[in-house]
Amino acid sequence: MKTFRAAGTVGELPTVTFGNRSLMWWGTLGFMVIEGWTSALILAAYLYLRQNYDSWPPLTIPYPSLLIPTINLGFFLLSIVPAIFAARAAKQLDEARVKRWLIVQCVACVIPLVLRWWELWALNARWDTNAYGSAAWTIVGFHTSLLVLDVIDTLGLTLFYFLKQMPVKAFSDVADNSFYWYFTVGAWVVIYAIVYVGPRIL
Amino acid sequence: MHSVLDPASPQARAVAHLWWWFFGVGAAVWLAVMATMLLSLRGRRAVRGADDLMQPAPGVEARVERLVKGATFVTVLILLGFLTYDFSVGRILAQQPTNPLTIQLIGHQWWWEAQYEDQDLTKRIVTANEMHVPVGQPVRFILTSRDVIHSFWVPNLTGKRDLIPGYQSTIWFQADTAGTYRGQCAEFCGLQHAKMALTIIAQPKAQYQLWFAAAVSSQTEPTDSTLLYGERIFMTTGCSVCHAISGTEARATVGPNLTHFKSRTMIAAGTLPNTRENVARWVLNPQVIKPGTQMPPSPLNTAQLSALLTYLETLK
Amino acid sequence: MTRPPTDRTLPADVTISEDDIARDARALGVVWSEPPGFWGWLTTVDHKKLGKRLIVTSFLMFLAGGIEAALMRAQLSRPENSLIGPDRYNQLFTTHGTTMMFLFAVPVMTAMGLYFVPLMVGARTLAFPRLNAFGYWNYVVGVVFLYVSLFVNMGPDTGWFAYVPLSGPQYSPGHRVDVWAQVVTFTEISALAGAVNVIVTAFKMRAPGMTVNRIPIFVWSQIVVAFMIVFAMPAVATASTLMLATDRAVTMHWFNPAEGGDALLWQHIFWFFGHPEVYIIFLPAMGMITPIIETFCRRKVFGYTPIVMANITTAFFAFGLWVHHMFATPIPELGQSLFTAASILIAIPTGIQIFCWLATMWMSRPQLTVPILFVLGFLFTFVNGGITGVMLASVAFDKQAHDTFFVVAHLHYVLLGGGVMPLFGAIYFWFPKMTGRLLGETLGKWHFWLFTIGVNVTFFPMHILGLEGMPRRMYTYLEPTGWGPLNLVASIGAATIAVSVLLFLINVIATMRRAPNAGPNPWKSSGLEWSVASPPPSYDFLYAPVVESRHPLWDTTIDLPVLTGFRTDRREVLVTTTFSAEPDSRHEHPTPSIWPFYLALCMGVVFIGSIFSPWFVLGGLGLSIIGLAGWGWSGTKPTHHERVATPVAVPERA
Repeated sequence: MKTFRAAGTVGELPTVTFGNRSLMWWGTLGFMVIEGWTSALILAAYLYLRQNYDSWPPLTIPYPSLLIPTINLGFFLLSIVPAIFAARAAKQLDEARVKRWLIVQCVACVIPLVLRWWELWALNARWDTNAYGSAAWTIVGFHTSLLVLDVIDTLGLTLFYFLKQMPVKAFSDVADNSFYWYFTVGAWVVIYAIVYVGPRIL
Repeated sequence: MHSVLDPASPQARAVAHLWWWFFGVGAAVWLAVMATMLLSLRGRRAVRGADDLMQPAPGVEARVERLVKGATFVTVLILLGFLTYDFSVGRILAQQPTNPLTIQLIGHQWWWEAQYEDQDLTKRIVTANEMHVPVGQPVRFILTSRDVIHSFWVPNLTGKRDLIPGYQSTIWFQADTAGTYRGQCAEFCGLQHAKMALTIIAQPKAQYQLWFAAAVSSQTEPTDSTLLYGERIFMTTGCSVCHAISGTEARATVGPNLTHFKSRTMIAAGTLPNTRENVARWVLNPQVIKPGTQMPPSPLNTAQLSALLTYLETLK
Repeated sequence: MTRPPTDRTLPADVTISEDDIARDARALGVVWSEPPGFWGWLTTVDHKKLGKRLIVTSFLMFLAGGIEAALMRAQLSRPENSLIGPDRYNQLFTTHGTTMMFLFAVPVMTAMGLYFVPLMVGARTLAFPRLNAFGYWNYVVGVVFLYVSLFVNMGPDTGWFAYVPLSGPQYSPGHRVDVWAQVVTFTEISALAGAVNVIVTAFKMRAPGMTVNRIPIFVWSQIVVAFMIVFAMPAVATASTLMLATDRAVTMHWFNPAEGGDALLWQHIFWFFGHPEVYIIFLPAMGMITPIIETFCRRKVFGYTPIVMANITTAFFAFGLWVHHMFATPIPELGQSLFTAASILIAIPTGIQIFCWLATMWMSRPQLTVPILFVLGFLFTFVNGGITGVMLASVAFDKQAHDTFFVVAHLHYVLLGGGVMPLFGAIYFWFPKMTGRLLGETLGKWHFWLFTIGVNVTFFPMHILGLEGMPRRMYTYLEPTGWGPLNLVASIGAATIAVSVLLFLINVIATMRRAPNAGPNPWKSSGLEWSVASPPPSYDFLYAPVVESRHPLWDTTIDLPVLTGFRTDRREVLVTTTFSAEPDSRHEHPTPSIWPFYLALCMGVVFIGSIFSPWFVLGGLGLSIIGLAGWGWSGTKPTHHERVATPVAVPERA
């Protein structure tokens, strides 16, 4: 076996990083790409089915109602604010501010989850009525699973922060959690546009 | 027999030619790669250097680089050539036929329903699994399915086309040689996919007209007492629940239409030759021959079976 | 902070003393160890242990799929044979395809990556060790579920691509197809977990100095394939879990034409995955060939850059071919022609790789070891399959050959020739690294010859059978068709393959019973994995190797330059910058954990349970939350002496 020659040391390198210097950030990005791509595929299938119908939604099914979904869209967009502030506080290693904004974030992401129930019924078609209903419920349902995952993550992080002294690297997790939330909201904007607004204008 | 390389139509012939070109060039390419591989094993162009790695003789590397680029270039040319040839064959096959005979072909698990289109409603033949077509006239099939995806394939005559529920697709060919051509379902469709064959009988114009005239005629009512008994068995023990015979009160469309049943060469979608013994075996218990088929066993005693078979034999 | 210069001669620094090495090795050995016994086995996050486990499990699946194939070949060896009836046969061919594609081919290629990518890039482990374990256990759930179902006569029976409406609720009542759909789910989770791990490890944990154009070609192929998995697997999971399973369980109408659904939609989504899938299997095998050729031709491969570009180009092209599986459907001809063009042109990058290998061999004197023999077998077999692939790209020809034994011949030529042969070569090549022992050469040669002859005797006649009119997926055929004699030949070939694989198993078992006899680098190869012991210690690399070329072990003359200064009281890995691989930070890595195993079981409850009742889904979700909490909690141990990077306002140096 060859011998080793010391050509430098890593002792001075940081051990807590943020953003694209952090492995977990890359893992979060990977998850976002996978789930985002899956959403795109379901949307493509939804649009593909349109060719089987003369009108969209099919005759006898009203347009998706816009009241609750638009209100919820507002809540989604507002919820980005506490996420941004939590991430900022985390990068500044300010534990007190992080804990405050995490609580706000919890509230801000649970509200859309609760309203999601009415958003599903706002589609005005059941999943077993016809292919249109199946497609619409699938894409909204899939997004709901992303939403649930992020709510669990946010609630869990918040709980941990209040239950124990968290290590410094947990700040990086707070920032990544906000990162994932931006994706969840962004994906919803696209889905809302295509599924709720789309049939009326296309 | 039913070989892609034994074409009986211009369509199949174009593809057979394409195949032989593909095969010839492909074999040559494979041989060239094998020769290069084997020659490279002799290793006369390299020496071991001081670092224990192989060094090629001077000038070899430059030559090899030119050869690799050349080989890539030749590969691109061959592939583009094939692309062009293939597109031209595709254009030929895509031309629409003039004045075709049109047959609606509907796939079922595990048999083929055929309806001949005609302006005159009384000349619309409905049959199953076996079709006669005229030589020298284009035949166009309009394909769909009642249940799952099937695929229509008669290798001597044409490439295949899927029968997809919710879709209608078309395929056409022109038989230029008389003969009996066997086809088979080519998309896995369940338990008896393996026994869902079909037969296309291409006949010269005159003979086709004779067949056509017989086919559009209705069955005449039997007068013989055995035949009447056999007909009654057909109508009352369950056969007519699924099978139709034109000219009788049996009109169900669940199973294959049995009008002119005796004129068919095979039964059960090309599974057995149409002999009295085979028909008997099939009628008594189809599940033994085609397990999973939709047709249930028939609990007939010897006399009933015999009369039924005799009746069926009159359906020429 | 001292950073190693990357493009000039390193200063003549100190050679690390043997005492220092021994002390560091002892400390790291403790920190990177597992709890003893069964608990350690269950909780390990060691990428080598998990990688080996995945290789072994995948090979068991190869044997299972092989037995299924043997039974089918026995049934088809004679016309109208009554060995196996239609129902059993349909379960066999479906399970054979599903096993080979989902449970053997992709997992084994992934496993080679999960084992070797860290070792080849100089990292101590993967980026996400617990995710790796989670992926493995999900795979095991899938394996167990499929085979238990097969044994209780609930094996899926509509083919490995399960076309609707046959696989829908109306024509496949019961739960057989649901089993298939959920097996796909588990293997998809497993593959995606592996893909994310490979990408992040290869991007962020490379040895300092391993710039992008010094990445080993094996690693390049794994990176490219990992990206393909990320974009292909979601399609099959969407189709099977979100569409087919819901059509069947809660009466959705994705594929029900009576309610606006579409039978072709299934084919589009499935093949959008299905075509890249075969390249996901094939490209890693290509990546294995380059190091084998380099080692036994004792030459750096000709055309590093063209080979890398060929890998990337093939991956992109692969996503544009899927309609060639649908040429018999009523898709407009013009559209089909585009896919013909793409399907023919993808032969070019593959051809370039082959030409580069031939060029390397030409300028050298190849040693005919077993790995090289398998490379030759690959050329003999795969080139044939590639040529029939170009034929099948033609719409006109494909309409005759589609869904016949011609396709069965083609796909086995490319999968066995282009996937399994390089894999066998790779096993012989890297076996000493993984186990410390060299496989027997003589038995290896017997294995090679019987396998190559067997594959060709089995599958060559099938080209002819297809052209003679024999469709796929037939449990029997009639005597007058004349297909009997060639089928018998194929079945004899299959028996030959079986014997060759048996010899391989004997070789492996006999070798493992011998004492370790291979040093770190028995083949005198050039990659970083050959610089560590055989098998490698739990921490892979004692220090972080520094790389100055594509072939570190051939280009360093005296010592290996390394970076030191890692903590030895916890698991620390080096994180480097993405493109230029400069040291950037250190990361504390997780210790063994039960949560990946637990969460995989929860996934089992959720997805298998979903077949039977929605309450299982809710219950499984609840159980999963516990698992996620445990997983997260175990990462919150307080640590000392953290160094925090400057705030993110300072962007990463590229």
